Amino acid sequence: MDNLETRLVKLALKGDQRAFAEIVDLYKDRIFHLAYRMLSNRHEAEDVVQETFLRVYRNLDRYDPGQKFSTWIYRIGTNLSIDRLRKRKPTYSLDAEIGDQDGADGYALIPGDNRTPETEYMISETRTTIHEAIDGLPPKYKTVMILRYLQELSLQEISDVLDMPVTTIKTRVHRGREFLRKKLESQQH
Amino acid sequence: MECKQAVSLMHDYLDGDLLSEQANELKSHLEACPDCRAAFRRLEETEMMLFAANRKSESVAVSEDMTDRIMSFLPQPKKHSPAWSWVRRHPALTAAAAFILIMLGTSIGFWNADTQLVVRGSDLNRVQVEGNTVIVPEGTIVSGDLTVERGELKIYGDVEGNVTVIDGSAYQASTAHVAGQVKDINQAFDWVWYKLSNIVSEVAYR
Repeated sequence: MDNLETRLVKLALKGDQRAFAEIVDLYKDRIFHLAYRMLSNRHEAEDVVQETFLRVYRNLDRYDPGQKFSTWIYRIGTNLSIDRLRKRKPTYSLDAEIGDQDGADGYALIPGDNRTPETEYMISETRTTIHEAIDGLPPKYKTVMILRYLQELSLQEISDVLDMPVTTIKTRVHRGREFLRKKLESQQH
Repeated sequence: MECKQAVSLMHDYLDGDLLSEQANELKSHLEACPDCRAAFRRLEETEMMLFAANRKSESVAVSEDMTDRIMSFLPQPKKHSPAWSWVRRHPALTAAAAFILIMLGTSIGFWNADTQLVVRGSDLNRVQVEGNTVIVPEGTIVSGDLTVERGELKIYGDVEGNVTVIDGSAYQASTAHVAGQVKDINQAFDWVWYKLSNIVSEVAYR
């Protein structure tokens, strides 16, 4: 039995545009969040989303149904994001001002359900700390942390997406976790 | 167990791949070491917060018109003509068809290449050629077959075999007598068959 993605790919290959639009709908948010976390820039993230789907479309006939579709599309989206990160000025660092933070997108202005302003503030504080900390990580750690915690991929899936051994992924997750732990501790003190 | 090793096991635990034996070792170490206990709790908290901080409550969303935008960007779908997809589905038949086409092509090529009058037969001494016309005069007997290509054949006498005219015309006077068949071949297709059967018989008689 084919899964949904494999069926949609088959239809799209036959020229069914609606099937491809379906694929876009299924993955656009995930790829956008991945790219947005990687690049901290809405405009660039949307560019990555567009380019990802363009590549998916062009290489649809090369998609191997033996592989998970999500792994394939994540690989494309991740590589495009990493490429953009690398092309940035080398002066970009943890201390550099981060252009497009959550607050700027109105995140802080939208209250959650049943939350007091205090808890809301604390949650957003922690979240900001974590996002900033992940932003400051070198790309190779950043990618792994985003795939693990934002996209909630398993270590095996991350290893498939990045085409690296699971042991390497584990080491990076461990280091990233330690780094985040220290960041959160310093915030609390 | 050293604290360093315990930390490594803590991470494995959070990854969900700690063997039960190792889990017991870690547990007894944590019971004995307050520092590691605190470190473990903070790591667990970090793990929870990492997942929580990135949950879908994320306010930043992709533009609503993203799907439309992407669909409008896409290059036009590659449309294969029905003929092309037939070719892709039947490679063997295609190869056979191509072979036949090439054979026909070369044969027709030969057919176009010749423009001169050709007379073939086993007994041509008695045949007269005048310009483009081949004449079997009255009273003469041509033994065997007679073939004329690209010319006119006028028969007044006897031919004791088959007469074949290719791309020309044959005239038989009232005095004429042909023992075998008279064949008039004008089309390339017939000519090809004629050529092919010639090749076959040539091969067969060798």
